[in-house]
Amino acid sequence: MSPRAIRWLIVAAILVLWEVLPRIGAVPMLFLPPLSTTLAAAAQDWQAYASALLITLGEVALGLVIACGGGILAGAIVGAVPFLRRLLLPVFSSLYAIPLVILYPALTAWFGIGPESKVAFAGVYGFFPTLLGTAAGIRTIDPQLLLAARSMGATLPQLITRVILPASIPTVLAGLRMGGALVIVGVVVSEMLISTAGIGYMISFYRTVLDSPHVFAAILLVLALTLMFDALTRALERGCASWRQTA
Amino acid sequence: MQRMADLNVAETPAATCAVSLRVDALSHAYAGHDVTTPALADISFEVGSGRFVVIVGPSGCGKSSLLLMMAGLRRPTAGRILCAGRPIETPDPDRIGVVFQEASLFPWLTAAENVAFPLALRHTSRAARRIRALEMLKLVGLDGFGERRPHELSGGMKQRVAIARGLVQDPPVLLMDEPFAALDEQTRMTMGDELLRIWSQTRKTVIFVTHSLTEAVYLADEVLVMSARPGRIIDRIPVDLPRPRTYEMLGGAGFAALRDRIWQQIRTP
Repeated sequence: MSPRAIRWLIVAAILVLWEVLPRIGAVPMLFLPPLSTTLAAAAQDWQAYASALLITLGEVALGLVIACGGGILAGAIVGAVPFLRRLLLPVFSSLYAIPLVILYPALTAWFGIGPESKVAFAGVYGFFPTLLGTAAGIRTIDPQLLLAARSMGATLPQLITRVILPASIPTVLAGLRMGGALVIVGVVVSEMLISTAGIGYMISFYRTVLDSPHVFAAILLVLALTLMFDALTRALERGCASWRQTA
Repeated sequence: MQRMADLNVAETPAATCAVSLRVDALSHAYAGHDVTTPALADISFEVGSGRFVVIVGPSGCGKSSLLLMMAGLRRPTAGRILCAGRPIETPDPDRIGVVFQEASLFPWLTAAENVAFPLALRHTSRAARRIRALEMLKLVGLDGFGERRPHELSGGMKQRVAIARGLVQDPPVLLMDEPFAALDEQTRMTMGDELLRIWSQTRKTVIFVTHSLTEAVYLADEVLVMSARPGRIIDRIPVDLPRPRTYEMLGGAGFAALRDRIWQQIRTP
């Protein structure tokens, strides 16, 4: 059996167990409501879930702009300029282990408990790893390619558009993938902490009222969001990476 | 091999006398914090049009540096380089094509697009680029490989693409920096024969840097021997072996004597 088939089989088994275990009483319904009950809860309140999802999606989109747009741009600059690299990279690498979530109370004080503080937190949360990844990736561009292009008379703008940019695509995609995943984490976590709306808020809210089916329905939605983002970045990578075997 | 021997027609060195490239009192030093390290010392030579000149020397003697200067990619500390009567100060692919040790093909472009890259920089029309690229691929023996990506080509084929790219703007001079050093020995021999065939078909001036003495003698009209750092030209050895060169010559007395003469020069600084 192929690994792919086995993977799907495992997923199917988990879904079946999710339905069966609570029903036969192996797991208390409060801890794990059956899959069908969870889906019914989602269907019953689909409008609330949809509007929460829209809010979360909007925050993720803006967070992506900060984390990936800013992180990739800053990473490219830091990676390309030796002085900046020596000045900043040791600092960023040392700060890597800080749980950035400690900043969140301060961010809510500055930006309020609305979407702004979620966007700010998720943006910061995804920004630094994306910057570090891009700065490292940009240095893997083969200097020999630049030398060859110069020998053919390429000007500086031509070097950037025809060599550096195409050679950076794998790095940029990797940055997008990593930054995007962190932004989703950042948005959902901050919604769960202090918030009034969004999927993360729904998880927290229904948990406090002990409504397990609604909690798990929201969890399923976050899962779906993550899988969607992953599929999107994979498709992007396949689209522009047919030559990567040599890189 | 018969086909190659036929095409690898005799080139009489005496028949071509116009100077194609002249290096004039060239010196180079690397500036450190408080010391400058001399890398090349007072190098002068000229290469006649259509000649095949090989530069050999011990590792680190600055022969690759010298080639980068001839390509206009590095400025010497002193002296100058003239090509077709005009100084070389920046890369000029109309006068000088360059092939490097690593084929340095752009992995996101096909073989044909790689060959056409210098033309794309000059905004040549897409159609004209393509015709020229396919023509050059045919010259280097890669007819029908235009749509392949670099990762689908062998090491020897990549270097053929690099040679086609170096020649695509029809420059009178082709500079080659250890182009076959990364290839296995059999491919290296074949590529040597192929290069001689291309050279005799196109009548380019070739300046070829290598650290292989056998390759030097096999290919060259003339071998320039450089000393260890700071690099100087310590000998100019005309190679009077007849063309076309064949594999059998490698075992001959004349070949061995030339190879030995170079080795003695490099061994005793």
